[in-house]
Amino acid sequence: MAHSLRQRDFGTVTRLVPVLSTLLFVIVSMLPFHIPGFGLIAPSFALMAIFHWTIYRPDLLPLSAVFGIGLFLDLLNGTPFVGLSALIFLLARTAVLNQRRLFFERPFLVLWLGFLVLASACFLFEWAFVSVIQFMPLRPRLFIFQAVITVACFPIGSYLLALAHRAVPANGT
Amino acid sequence: MRLSAPVKAAAQRLTLPFLIFVSALFAVLGKADILLFDHARVLLADTLSPVFSLATKPIATVSDAVATVEDVFSVYRQNQELREENDRLLRWQEAARRLAAENADLRGLIRFAPQGAVSSIAAQVIADSGGAYLRNVMVNVGSNDGIQRGQIAMTGEGLVGRVVEVGTHTSRILLLTDINSHIPVTIESTHDRAVLDGDNADQPRLAYLQAKSEVIAGSRIVTSGSGGIFPPGLPVGVVSSTGGMRVQPYADLSRLEILRIIDFGLDGVLLQSAMPAPKPARGAKSNADASR
Repeated sequence: MAHSLRQRDFGTVTRLVPVLSTLLFVIVSMLPFHIPGFGLIAPSFALMAIFHWTIYRPDLLPLSAVFGIGLFLDLLNGTPFVGLSALIFLLARTAVLNQRRLFFERPFLVLWLGFLVLASACFLFEWAFVSVIQFMPLRPRLFIFQAVITVACFPIGSYLLALAHRAVPANGT
Repeated sequence: MRLSAPVKAAAQRLTLPFLIFVSALFAVLGKADILLFDHARVLLADTLSPVFSLATKPIATVSDAVATVEDVFSVYRQNQELREENDRLLRWQEAARRLAAENADLRGLIRFAPQGAVSSIAAQVIADSGGAYLRNVMVNVGSNDGIQRGQIAMTGEGLVGRVVEVGTHTSRILLLTDINSHIPVTIESTHDRAVLDGDNADQPRLAYLQAKSEVIAGSRIVTSGSGGIFPPGLPVGVVSSTGGMRVQPYADLSRLEILRIIDFGLDGVLLQSAMPAPKPARGAKSNADASR
């Protein structure tokens, strides 16, 4: 009995891998890496995680978790717009989920291209939202740079997520 | 409690619109400084600070190592530069001594009361916002170390920003490049007043300049002290040569590692804003008293 209980617990823990890995990616994107010349920009690793898990295991990264992770990021990075990342992540998850068949078990380049479109849309949305709320068109340079660096780092994030994916129990769907 | 299948399906269908609505609402309301968010931020930052402190260490080690290798390759050139600089500085030292003596004489003449004793504390940057429109950093000191909202963050070179959020052992520094940063400044050569507005660019913008005032590239910009948040005379940067009334900050904001958080004992307009100032810790109280 104790044995089976432990097995079940272990199963529960591994089912949390998508949520935990996404949270970990949020924290990583906030470490001070000091990219010279570009201020405090970091790739949005969380977006990669949401892209990955929505394609492969949307059941383990439900809407509520995506919402919570977005709020977590917003509270942590000191933005005056708490909820903006949550909004972006929710929209991203919905968009990816709708186009899931395009990406499921397709070559990596297809995934990368899909992520390029997703990241561009997300940063465009973020730029537009902040510009409207601030009544001031922000310079798009840093948003473009963050989108580029996020897309460029996708292979790294994707590889790490694939490693984490091995720990997740298989599912029929 | 078990829900019937149709109710469950309806709830599932409504989750997405509901969550999207809530997050959009939050994001729009956020400009109104909701107290709950402030408390949640502080709590989260305090809770996660050990994680950030730990994770920052290897990064600091790597960047130190890279810097060391760079140093080795440039030793010869640096040595020559340093000799020249040393010559120049020796002359300045002489000038400074003369000026200090003169200053002391003049102060005696006008019975100048120097600003109250200033206390300061060193802080390590443990996290940054990492966003395209956010310019702030989190540091590893908080109210336990005597940090209070409104205190000033500087590097050896110049002004960095001010403390906007204080936890028990973390605080957040709003950098002078953030879109919410507006610092009253003076152009040192002409004594013209202006406001240094962050607009998310690396070089903040000089705003509210008098129409006739002339701004020459290379002019020093210092804080003016208006508003009572920043004391007058802190070095901020120089007017950029790229034009457009922009200021290149003295502090390298892209590579902040160690900051000085300085208590000038000022309680300007900041304290009247939504968030009450946290109660200073015991150590801080003595500092604050000393500075008054």
